[in-house]
Amino acid sequence: MAAPTNRRHAWGEGVLLLLIGLFCVFPFYWMVTTSLKTQVVALESPPVWWFTPTLANYREVLFVDKVGPALINSLIVAVSTTALAVGLGTPAAYALARFEFRGKRDLWFWFITNRFVSPVVLAFPVFLIARETGLRDTHIALILMYLTFTLPIVIWICTDQFRSIPHELDEAAMLEGASQWRIFRSICLPLAMPGVAVSSILSFIFSWNELLFAYILAPKAAKTAPAMAVTFMEGYDVPYGKIMATSTLIVVPVLIFALLASKHLVRGLTMGAVK
Amino acid sequence: MKLKSHVSALALASASIAALTGAAQAWTLEEAAKPYAGTELEVLFLDRPGYNAAIKMLPEFEAATGIKVNYTTVPYENALGEQVRDFVAGGDLDIALIDLVWIGNFAENGWLVPSETFIKNPALADPALDMADFFPLVLDAFGSWNGVNYGLPFDNYSGLLFYNRCMLEAAGFDKPPATWQEVMDTYGPALTKDGKYAYALQSKRNETQSADSFARFLWPFGGSFLNAEFRSNLNSPESQAGLKFRQDLMKFMPEGIVAYDHAETVNAFAQGDVAMITEWSAFYSTVVSPETSKVADCVEIAPEPTGPAGRKPALGGFSLAVASQADDAEKAAGWLFIQWVTSKAKAGQYLEMGGVPARQSAYADPALAATYKFIPALVESWKEGVPEFRPRFAEWPAITEIVQEWGTKMMLGEVSIEDGAKTIGEKMEAVLAEAGYYDGKKPLAQ
Amino acid sequence: MSFRVPRRTIAAFLGPAVAALAIVGIAPLVYAVWKSLHYFNLTKLAQQRFVGLENYGAVLTDPVFWQAMGRTALLFLIAVPIQIALGLLIALVLHRPGLTFWKTLTRLSLVLPMATTYAVVGLLAQVMLNQKYGVINQMLGWIGVDAINFIGDPTNAFIAVVMWDIWQWTPFVALVLLAGLSTVPPEIEEAATLETRSNWTVLRHVQLPFLIPSLVAVLILRTADTLKLFDMPFTMTRGGPGSATEFIAVLIERVGNRQFDIGMAAAQSVIMLAITIVLARLYIRLFYREVR
Repeated sequence: MAAPTNRRHAWGEGVLLLLIGLFCVFPFYWMVTTSLKTQVVALESPPVWWFTPTLANYREVLFVDKVGPALINSLIVAVSTTALAVGLGTPAAYALARFEFRGKRDLWFWFITNRFVSPVVLAFPVFLIARETGLRDTHIALILMYLTFTLPIVIWICTDQFRSIPHELDEAAMLEGASQWRIFRSICLPLAMPGVAVSSILSFIFSWNELLFAYILAPKAAKTAPAMAVTFMEGYDVPYGKIMATSTLIVVPVLIFALLASKHLVRGLTMGAVK
Repeated sequence: MKLKSHVSALALASASIAALTGAAQAWTLEEAAKPYAGTELEVLFLDRPGYNAAIKMLPEFEAATGIKVNYTTVPYENALGEQVRDFVAGGDLDIALIDLVWIGNFAENGWLVPSETFIKNPALADPALDMADFFPLVLDAFGSWNGVNYGLPFDNYSGLLFYNRCMLEAAGFDKPPATWQEVMDTYGPALTKDGKYAYALQSKRNETQSADSFARFLWPFGGSFLNAEFRSNLNSPESQAGLKFRQDLMKFMPEGIVAYDHAETVNAFAQGDVAMITEWSAFYSTVVSPETSKVADCVEIAPEPTGPAGRKPALGGFSLAVASQADDAEKAAGWLFIQWVTSKAKAGQYLEMGGVPARQSAYADPALAATYKFIPALVESWKEGVPEFRPRFAEWPAITEIVQEWGTKMMLGEVSIEDGAKTIGEKMEAVLAEAGYYDGKKPLAQ
Repeated sequence: MSFRVPRRTIAAFLGPAVAALAIVGIAPLVYAVWKSLHYFNLTKLAQQRFVGLENYGAVLTDPVFWQAMGRTALLFLIAVPIQIALGLLIALVLHRPGLTFWKTLTRLSLVLPMATTYAVVGLLAQVMLNQKYGVINQMLGWIGVDAINFIGDPTNAFIAVVMWDIWQWTPFVALVLLAGLSTVPPEIEEAATLETRSNWTVLRHVQLPFLIPSLVAVLILRTADTLKLFDMPFTMTRGGPGSATEFIAVLIERVGNRQFDIGMAAAQSVIMLAITIVLARLYIRLFYREVR
């Protein structure tokens, strides 16, 4: 009696899982297949599912439309800002987790608020500042501005991580006369590596995906890939294949990183609110 | 017209200088460019046929001069913002790409170098420049402000009526509509059936709404944005009649026309879903190429239909001017490029590659009209256009945003024509008051 | 427990991060506040002047600003409950024992939408929702629904943005709630399932209390992200048709980037920021564990 119900249950559940999976993955399938279509095929109505694929769109966007350099810019900016955020953020996280001092709560609140600030608030003043300082259209301008969201991510996740390290270890080291810096570097940081890794991956994803700062601050030399994707939207002609090829090139690296960090992604996105 | 006389005086001056120096020594581009070899020029281009034509011509210029032209392709909707931010920040653009409605703004901000600076310099001015050969309306409207010329017309449009001869014939019409009233009364009802539509009017909420949709139905009906005192003229009986006409005509247009930009409109025509569109001349190559058009063999071109006040077709286009933020070598090199790409000598090649030159001489050959069917209609349109089809003063970027917002609201029925026009008028006057037109601080030029 | 350490040490650890965030986060804000008190238009720099609170008066009485705010709130109020309902359903399915391999696979697929570049999500929407060439309308056709003009009709465009927001963020909500479900002690859950056959009762009385932290986290983060929402509508509809999808960040971008009125955009930003901070403070008080 129980067995058939269970099997039927399992079937129902399987179908449900399949639907959930399709719901998530189908747009990516459509993006990739559209990127392999010529403009004529992409504009077939109704859309076609079987066709002879071509890599022409990729060849064109990478080598003619300068999406290649834009991807390199994105990489430079995302890696640099992540490294900087980790370098600045881990000591701060350590201090928040281990030291007692006045104003700690306010400081922590200030860090956390940055997660809520919309880039559109900062973008225009930063444009004016970049104009005065000559940082417009440089990688540095983007690397610095991306700290507004990468640094808080690193601080939050790593603060959590440092707190979970038992105090006995550093107490023993302190008795032996080690400085706080040494304890941080040699004992706690190695133990906090999982948190550092997760926050790095998240910083990378967020920086890679950013559009508004890039769009306003880096019109040409430092133009990143998402800003590049937007430039195909000329009202005269909408090259679906090229747009989707560019989109695929932008999305694939972040999806790989997201899958690598999938176990910790939720914790990262909720800023440690959910374990 | 005041503007015109200024520009033709300029043209005369340049011609006489050319005559003087031309006699002394033969001017060549190679010689003139020698001091500037290795100079790199930065300019924004659009992804449109005229620019693709210029890109194909670039290697020849670069080989002859040693000057490198670095173009960055941007969508039209970003081109103004990118240039404004670049000029404000003292960026690296050496050549300004000027839509006719930006000329007042760029000129008043001092971002452009008057062309006279270069025309007066015999080392830089090509004796064959011949400013008088540009269509006067186009040279005035696209490149000149307050009687000073800055830009030479480069990517030139006039609104034209593209029609599908096969669809019209099937419905019993042997010629295109001559008046808007005919479109409304006979062509519209006869051609709107079986999922096909008589007409599509690109009306998306961006410059397309103000230039292609809103203004297109003001002028032929006798309306205008502003009256002589620079007050809103949008609630005048003529303007109202035009805007109401546009609203009524929507029954012959595809659904969701307020989301149609050029691409959607041209595509609907090229797919044979729409019998007529009023579009820029620049789309000619798209609709007659079998690669992008299913109706290539049926495409015919006519001037836009007339309204009670005449034709007054849509006018748009771009000129190139030297940016004042460039250094001296870049300025000189920039001028040489602009002068070359818009020259009489290159006009034929530009046309062949898909561009639309503004040189009268380029269209003189009657044989050309057989190959490029848009030529007669274009030449006719450029004789009847109004330069202030959209006011070209510095305030237009602010005003167009207002027109875009409320113009689409009207079409969507979210606001009545009267109220919408009134709102645009009030907001427009506020912008003009702020700019100082009403207290005599600024001359009433548009 | 925490250590008491010399102030100098604390400064050395915290100083660089605080200085960096002050430079990139606070300095531009101060500058924005200063500019918001000016008439400051990029195309009319000559007319730049101090106007006091004029810009704020204009924003506070501007129906366009409040309509954009209202639209943003409406998006939140429609999309988030659906995301929570669907997300809870998915989380409950994944939480049940059995079919481990398939569930792991599904969990992995759930990770994809939320990591996708937001700008690309909007571009994808343009391609898939097109009335004529779009695959979604083709699928609707299979079940006998006429092609819908998603991008061209104001109501439909808003619905399309809501749909796309649901696509991107339901998986996120599901994973957060799944994490919440895993905090329910298995003994209690098993005992409850033995006692009643109703899944609803188990959810309501046993699991829900453990889900509260996750739900609050979802509300906080969705609020922040909805207020920030720019990339997706920008690449999908550019705020149109009309202003049907002009959310608050899209509006501010338009004022600053297309009307070039940086002073006005700054005033709008400051008002939005004030609203954001009040909401953030409220939420964080309610929920986040304070630093010990």
